[in-house]
Amino acid sequence: MEAFDSLSKHYRQRDTAAREWKENGGKVIGYFCDSVPEELILAAGFFPVRISGDPWDNTEIARKHFLPRSKNREDFVHSMLNRLLTGEYDFLDHLVIPHARDTIRRLYVLMVELKESDPEFKLPELHFLDVLHTPFFSSSVYNRLQKLDFKKVLEQWSGSEITNDSISKAITITNENKMLLKKVAELRASDPCRISGVEALQLIGSSMFMLKEEHNKLLKQYLTQAVKKSYSDRVRVFMAGSPLDNLQLYEILESSGVMVVAEDNCWGNRYSDIPIDTTLEPLEAVIDRYHNKSPCNRMYPMSRRIDYCIQNALAARAQGVIFNTYKNDAAEALETPAKRKALEEKGIPSLYLKNQPYLINEPEKIKTGVSEFVKEIKGK
Amino acid sequence: MAGENVYGRGIAQLKIANEIRAHQRAWMAETRERVKQGEPFAICNGDEFEEIFNIMDIPVIVINYYNMIIMVKGMGGYYRNILEEHGYEDGDWLAYGLATTLDDNPEKAPWGGLPKPAIIVGGTKEDKGLKILEIWAKEYGCTFFPLEFCMDPIPEKPIPRPGWYDKIYDQWDEFYDSDRLDLRVKEVEALIAHLEVTTGKTFSIAKLNRSIELFNEQMEYWEKADELIAYTRPCPVSWRDSQAVHQAKWHRGTVKGRDFLKAYYEEVKERIDKGEGVVPEEKVRLLGFFPNPPAFSQYLAEKYAAVFIGPTNSSAHCYRRKILNNDPIRTLAARQMAFSFSTPDVDMRYAKKQKVDGVIEDASMPQLSHEETCETEDIPFLKLSKDVGEAENRAMLDEFMKEVLSRKN
Repeated sequence: MEAFDSLSKHYRQRDTAAREWKENGGKVIGYFCDSVPEELILAAGFFPVRISGDPWDNTEIARKHFLPRSKNREDFVHSMLNRLLTGEYDFLDHLVIPHARDTIRRLYVLMVELKESDPEFKLPELHFLDVLHTPFFSSSVYNRLQKLDFKKVLEQWSGSEITNDSISKAITITNENKMLLKKVAELRASDPCRISGVEALQLIGSSMFMLKEEHNKLLKQYLTQAVKKSYSDRVRVFMAGSPLDNLQLYEILESSGVMVVAEDNCWGNRYSDIPIDTTLEPLEAVIDRYHNKSPCNRMYPMSRRIDYCIQNALAARAQGVIFNTYKNDAAEALETPAKRKALEEKGIPSLYLKNQPYLINEPEKIKTGVSEFVKEIKGK
Repeated sequence: MAGENVYGRGIAQLKIANEIRAHQRAWMAETRERVKQGEPFAICNGDEFEEIFNIMDIPVIVINYYNMIIMVKGMGGYYRNILEEHGYEDGDWLAYGLATTLDDNPEKAPWGGLPKPAIIVGGTKEDKGLKILEIWAKEYGCTFFPLEFCMDPIPEKPIPRPGWYDKIYDQWDEFYDSDRLDLRVKEVEALIAHLEVTTGKTFSIAKLNRSIELFNEQMEYWEKADELIAYTRPCPVSWRDSQAVHQAKWHRGTVKGRDFLKAYYEEVKERIDKGEGVVPEEKVRLLGFFPNPPAFSQYLAEKYAAVFIGPTNSSAHCYRRKILNNDPIRTLAARQMAFSFSTPDVDMRYAKKQKVDGVIEDASMPQLSHEETCETEDIPFLKLSKDVGEAENRAMLDEFMKEVLSRKN
């Protein structure tokens, strides 16, 4: 099997590697979002797997339990919750829920309640990892305490101490992964573009569902082949907006005359763009990296988010930017006017797909909008 | 004739409600004048920091309060359109104040709009709240002072122990995570330092002690008035009047704020002594979870002699904080890091105290439903959806009232 096919298989069958690990006697920790330090989970000897949704899934059970609490990005969050409640993640030994977006935080409260009230759900052992919203020093002090506490929890779960040596080894592996994914980003940003957005999401995403060493090995093989490809006939776009944990939108976009050359998305380039500083003491370096990582839309200040969008769109030589926000993703929607204005000032046109459902049910409408956007860019 | 004397029509508005309204208008005019003279004005998030600004003699308005006024005046639609015109399609009520600034039309805005603030102080109760305040400060060109933890339920203890609300006054230290409280104390101190440097005004622990004392007294009067209302039929205060009095809560820790609530308590008592009621022949008392008194309150009053009370006062007792360990800053921080008060158990405590005969809920309200707790407490419950037409709503109300009345009889 070609390297890409293996990586793609893991992207599509997200539980395969974790189940294999479990069958071989290992333990698996699920986590939400990109703010949980995978390095500490790896250093403790666990298999980290990121929780994701599935737009085509039924979400009836999640809706029954969660809908009254929050409408924030409800389809996406319901999908993840439903998979947890219906046993799709029955291989998890533990689950880490960070203080990410409001709805994710509320999932923790809900799951603690469900564990008490409905034990038939068989939810894994939970840990809440608090993360603040500001990049200030006072926040870093608090966030550091939370990470140190998280390390202790991992040690309790594993029954052994997490040493500096084991953290260093984990950093070496994840930094190599980030370095390889950075090469993926460079090949997308090159002119001509060498890797499509649809391919890139699978290369990046599969890293969150596989053993990192295996992912690194396959990625190296893939990169030697990718340089031979060329996507030169499309309009280059930068993608921004709500999290995209599946290929649906990119497939629609890339069949409508555009190529997604980079994105501001925690399931895309933002997952891996900041490595861990190996000149620092390993535990502190991990803590520092997660405090200073590229910001998601819950973070203050907005200027960092706007800069990230502009700088990365420019670096990828994007001819336009497409914003895709889910229905009820207020934090993302509130940022979008300022980002579009900043792009306009740089002469970069943008297209705004607002109030989108998690499962895209009107692809033709998007295709029409994108085709017009392409004409606008080509006509400039 | 019943129709002329129902749901507060036959009873004068509370004198204190009108006094508070008049005071608020005068206060805003005075504040505007002070700002013209170069004094600072502040906008802060709900339940946060009013005490600090009041102690430092910096006029402050709470965002929820101003947004609520916009909503009560029926101007939400107008400002949602303004937000949409500026690309903010969400139109959330949290952003109404921002919309008045974007609109820049003082003749249209309540109180002629707000004066330009020197600072906006905000928390992270919701992701969008932080964003809205940051955008608002940018529009004003003023300082934005972001904060963590505004009324954030404690994730480490997501289910407060039963009866937490009865212990939160003098055993609050049991309910907070100490790391989070430490950070909040630092934030309070950082804000004070910032204000001292930028305004030249100073802060004092002695004044904070007094402020907490006054605030606790203010809440006590509120709760005492509430006790009277709960044990009295007919209900002496309309939902709308209790909302108006609620405004005085935003003058936290001041003599004025305390005196408003004292006067409210005395007026309620006076009304009860005179036997005055919103619906003099009150037969049914209902608790409603709606942003404002719904239009069908009148229908229920006329047809069923039912009084509809709102949840405005349900949590007064949860706000008070005794100073522990001689540490008023930490006590203040603990009040700001309050629980999310609109939890079904707090509301049910209120429903039971008021001996309500039923609960009606707006399905679109972003809160936990009271259906389960009502079922546990055996209180008839109805959820009304805005999607359901008026005729169908009436039919549901009539059906619900049948059940309510049959249980009473």
